[in-house]
Amino acid sequence: MLDAQAILKTATKVKLDDIKSGKVLSVHDKPNLKYAWDNGVALGRYLAELKNGRIIGKRCNSCKRVLVPPRLFCEVCWRPTDEWTYVQDTGTILTYVVSHVNWDASRVKKGQRYHTPAVIELDGAGKDQAILHLIDEIEPYDIKIGMRVKAVWREPEERIGAITDIKYFKVIE
Amino acid sequence: MAITERLQNTTEVSYWTGEIPLEYIYTYGRAGEKYFRNLKDKGTFLGAKCDKCDIVYVPPRIYCEKCFQRLEDKYVDVGTIGTVHTFTVLYKNLDGTEKEKPVIMAMVRLDGTDGGVVHYLGEVEPSQVEIGMQVKAVLKPKKDRKGIITDIKYFKPL
Repeated sequence: MLDAQAILKTATKVKLDDIKSGKVLSVHDKPNLKYAWDNGVALGRYLAELKNGRIIGKRCNSCKRVLVPPRLFCEVCWRPTDEWTYVQDTGTILTYVVSHVNWDASRVKKGQRYHTPAVIELDGAGKDQAILHLIDEIEPYDIKIGMRVKAVWREPEERIGAITDIKYFKVIE
Repeated sequence: MAITERLQNTTEVSYWTGEIPLEYIYTYGRAGEKYFRNLKDKGTFLGAKCDKCDIVYVPPRIYCEKCFQRLEDKYVDVGTIGTVHTFTVLYKNLDGTEKEKPVIMAMVRLDGTDGGVVHYLGEVEPSQVEIGMQVKAVLKPKKDRKGIITDIKYFKPL
């Protein structure tokens, strides 16, 4: 049987100061993780349309869903999708989170707003076809599932064809 | 049904570039700490000897992987001399550009051990390298050693 106490006795405790002072040896590195990712046909058009201030999806005429972000292939019907179709930049919060930590797991500093990413079902998109984006202009803990939201876009000249061309979604009702 | 939709215009081809910020600190563990401490201070390699299985592990392990005997009190200094077990010659950098001068990398089996080190070969031309060739580690001066694998500059022929 696993003896937790025995394992703890053999464990070596290392503190950050031990590493910094050289008491414990280590390798410290920052690998170069630059990448280039081919957008492909569907996401390429999606990003190009974001630059125009529009959100585009693709309809599957078999299951009647509008896939957002668009895909060339319907994973439910196992067939190519059909027409390109614009969806609204308004939608409904399906779920959200109030995050007290930043992306690198550090704490959000006092006075800074907690991060509030949400899954947003866009009007005109199929059921459960939702995108992940940020909610703002509302107190984090006032956000509720089912709230209606609208995209707040960057100025046209600031847009680069990225999901961040939408700054965030704000509650409209 | 095949997917027939394709980009018709090459100017529509787009890609996304990014950079993943990643930074890490790796500590070597109990045996690795001893190995690199020994390399830094004494300038030699450390192995772990299992008497029962007659195996000398380099780098050292805290257990024998065959019989599970604890090896932490069985560390042995194995010196800096070994033989070229296998090697390869690199002509290009990671990004695909040509190297000014080819670089030789070898797996060096340390004498009297069952393990070894993968490192550069130096003071030798690619055409002169042979499997089985005796080599010796060339280390940085003690004051410049940090307890990392690049404390070894390269292995050179004896």
